[in-house]
Amino acid sequence: MIILRSLFYILIFPGALFTACFGLFLAGVDRKVVARMQHRIGPPLRQPMYDFFKLLGKETIIPHAANKIAFLGAPIIGFVSLALIMLFIPVGGLTAFSGNADMIVILYLITIPGVALIVGGSSSGSPYAGIGISREMVTMMAYELPFVLVLLAVARKAGGSELAFSMEQVANWQAANGNMLFQWSMIPAAIAMLLVVPAEVGTQPFDVAEAETEICEGPLIEYSGSALGMFKLNSAMKMFVMSGLFVSLFLGGIRTGFVVCDVIVFILLCIVVTILCMSTIHAVTARLKIEHLFKFYWTFVAGMALCSLILVWCGL
Amino acid sequence: MIQHFPVLAVMLLFLGAFCVEIFGSNNAGIRNTIAMLAATIALVLIYALIKPVMIDGEIISYWMGNWAPVSGYAIGIGYEVDALSLFFALLVVTTFWLSGVYSMSYMAKDHHLGHYYTLYLMLSGSVLGLVMTGDIFNMFVMIEIMTFASVALTAFRNENEGTLEAGFKYLVIGSMGSSFTLTGIALIYGQCHTLNMAQISAQLCTGMTPTTIMAFALIVAGFGVKSYIVPFHTPAADAYMVAPTSVSMIFSGMVNKAGVYGMIRVLYIIFRAMDKSSVQMLVVIFGAVTMFIGVTMALAQHDFKRLLAFHSISQIGYVITAIGLGTALGITGGLFHAMNHTLFKGLLFLTAGAVLYATGTTNLDKLGGLSKKMPKTCICFLIGAFSISGLPPFNGFVSKWLVYQATYTKAVETGNFVYAIVTVVALIVSVMTLASFIKVTQAVFFGQLPAELKKTQEVPASMLVPMYLMSALCVLCGIFYPIVNKYLLHPATEATLNVTNYIDKMMGDGYAAMMGAQNIEVAPVQFSYWNPIVWLILFVIIFVAAFLVITGSKSSRGQVLNPGVKYDPKYATFFSGEEELFSQVGGSDLFWGFKTDWKGYYKVLEGLHSGIVTDYAGWTVMATAIITVCMFIFMR
Repeated sequence: MIILRSLFYILIFPGALFTACFGLFLAGVDRKVVARMQHRIGPPLRQPMYDFFKLLGKETIIPHAANKIAFLGAPIIGFVSLALIMLFIPVGGLTAFSGNADMIVILYLITIPGVALIVGGSSSGSPYAGIGISREMVTMMAYELPFVLVLLAVARKAGGSELAFSMEQVANWQAANGNMLFQWSMIPAAIAMLLVVPAEVGTQPFDVAEAETEICEGPLIEYSGSALGMFKLNSAMKMFVMSGLFVSLFLGGIRTGFVVCDVIVFILLCIVVTILCMSTIHAVTARLKIEHLFKFYWTFVAGMALCSLILVWCGL
Repeated sequence: MIQHFPVLAVMLLFLGAFCVEIFGSNNAGIRNTIAMLAATIALVLIYALIKPVMIDGEIISYWMGNWAPVSGYAIGIGYEVDALSLFFALLVVTTFWLSGVYSMSYMAKDHHLGHYYTLYLMLSGSVLGLVMTGDIFNMFVMIEIMTFASVALTAFRNENEGTLEAGFKYLVIGSMGSSFTLTGIALIYGQCHTLNMAQISAQLCTGMTPTTIMAFALIVAGFGVKSYIVPFHTPAADAYMVAPTSVSMIFSGMVNKAGVYGMIRVLYIIFRAMDKSSVQMLVVIFGAVTMFIGVTMALAQHDFKRLLAFHSISQIGYVITAIGLGTALGITGGLFHAMNHTLFKGLLFLTAGAVLYATGTTNLDKLGGLSKKMPKTCICFLIGAFSISGLPPFNGFVSKWLVYQATYTKAVETGNFVYAIVTVVALIVSVMTLASFIKVTQAVFFGQLPAELKKTQEVPASMLVPMYLMSALCVLCGIFYPIVNKYLLHPATEATLNVTNYIDKMMGDGYAAMMGAQNIEVAPVQFSYWNPIVWLILFVIIFVAAFLVITGSKSSRGQVLNPGVKYDPKYATFFSGEEELFSQVGGSDLFWGFKTDWKGYYKVLEGLHSGIVTDYAGWTVMATAIITVCMFIFMR
């Protein structure tokens, strides 16, 4: 029974299937909104899904210099870890697996898609991919510091005098005391998190790793066919996972009393967060340089997160 | 019967050392047989102790020549193996046995192998003796043998550039560490009139005098040198880089751990200083600085083995931080990380050795594209790299998870913001570790294959087998962590926090109570972040998915552009970096975006790592002085 239940969680809801479908939908929303902001009509909402299925049917070419296992295995590992992260994020108060200190598990699982992209790109042997992975890794180092600070601040706020690294505890605290976002000491952390989300997903202006115009999509340069499709799916899923993480960390207190309604509210909030921190910023900014990105995250964004952490530590 | 095992294991290794020199200096067969026989028997003898010590909770004691204590005074040399000693002894035997197997083909092309195996057995025996002895002067003797065997092994390939320099640095700094320890031991002997650690511990229950505080500070500094925490870390980088790789593995796997063991033994058992929050803070700060400086130095390295050396320093920082917390969770995390560090760093050094063996260089700018030539080594390397970066489900993840949890719990419990900062540092260091291993992956195994390395071949099986074993252990310890916790970590943690049993076993029942020592009940640490069933399901799914995609997908090999044209670096894609002109995504400059932002910091670090032994000796003395002053302030 427990095996069946785990299988359901991992494969269907809130794991692989749900995350994949909804991630592709969110990517469609993102494209549509950006297009509308730029006075274009934009593709239909299902366009990313069409793209994904089209890529699945195409031939995958493995470059001569590539290591086959790493080249084809990387997108799978990324996909599995993204599906797994959703198991730890409370979707409208529903958590598939909860445990002590699962925030750290989330923190590490979230790095795996990035690592998969790096290993895959690196194994293709292309110098463009080499530059791309270098940038991807620096981006990762850049947003990790504010991300860690935000998680610690939230954990401290929700846990009070006892330790809480657990998402479930954060959800319960918010159910009892209202949304984390409406605590004034948490507002800087929320802003920092809103900036961490696009960097983690890799949307403009933080898409230095995949800069199409300079390094031809960086790590993805040699990918084609279903492997490329998997990577596209991964980035769409990342969008959902990261916006979902924001919602459950800062807006997890909205409870209607019905699980289905809670899930719908969660999904709507995810769409709002995506539009707010990915589509809007995407539509109005140009790409940063990597050293500027790093400096921005370690000074401004990390500073905001640290501000919150100190405020929370002082009991505010 | 069983009480003879520890001393027999140590004696056999020393005996083997002499026999190799006498009988085997000219005959490879005899030499290898003696060395492996001694190492294997020692391995079996120590593994046989798992049941009585770890499971049944016995403490094994042995008085040399049956010189038992007379009227409450220990006069003979005693061996005492509790769970903490055995925990480290297991790491030691595993490391030197695997290193021995690896040496068989790795060292085969070198000269004077008689000396090599003599020193190898001496080093193994001394570290094993160090972790199992119950006599503090015997411990010092073992430290001396260990230091000098290490120096000789560092400079073993002395026809290569830099080996003698590295040996000299090791000699100077290592001897300073030994001298501190000896001075400390002399002071403690003057005060307590005994050299038995259990008895010293019991006598110090009544309180510390200025003499014992001085001794304490000096011994801590001495073991700090042996475990290479930051101001003392300077000889490590050179020594690990130039020593034969099988020896680098021994250095990071057990010589380092000997220092960590000494720290734990001294801090928790002999002086029991860890209930003071100021001492905890001092140790934690040393640990945090160590992990940060270690990893940032590693990011700037151009040499595979040197990079690994700085990571060794950084990972020991995690261990020291965790044991400095003084909580059961912290000690469990620290011990687990020490064990995992032995496994994954040993594995990484072995892969570095394999690369050196196959290509003749460890310079990151000259390597590349080896994953097609050495696929097995590449997979082992990736497992090691993911383990040290702490990605789930590998072992590094579990121990780092414990360390973060321990530091943050401590922060919340004490309300001290410094511990929260330490948690952040630990988490960031982990990402930087990942970054620097991505750099190695790209520079050594992926990327473009240089023309000179076209003929590279996979290393022989006797070098691959130790790598496979260690990779398997990395994965298994990550998945079956509850078993590791139950049989190894929990007994060792309990032994660390409970001095009474340790004293009573050596000095007779009731001795500890008479002197005022008390026991603490330690609840086993709960791991509850994941369900093992989920892990199993997940593995099946990943395996099936990867299998389907890799075998079933419609794929074809790409073509080489202009296969007839000769490779000319002039037309290769320019990446960056002025030093190695026209280099193909060389390892050295992979993270220039990061390095430009940290220019000022790296300038300071480069200035500090001047390479001049006098400077390093100066730091060592300075850090010892700081520790001494702090201890005098804290312990009064």
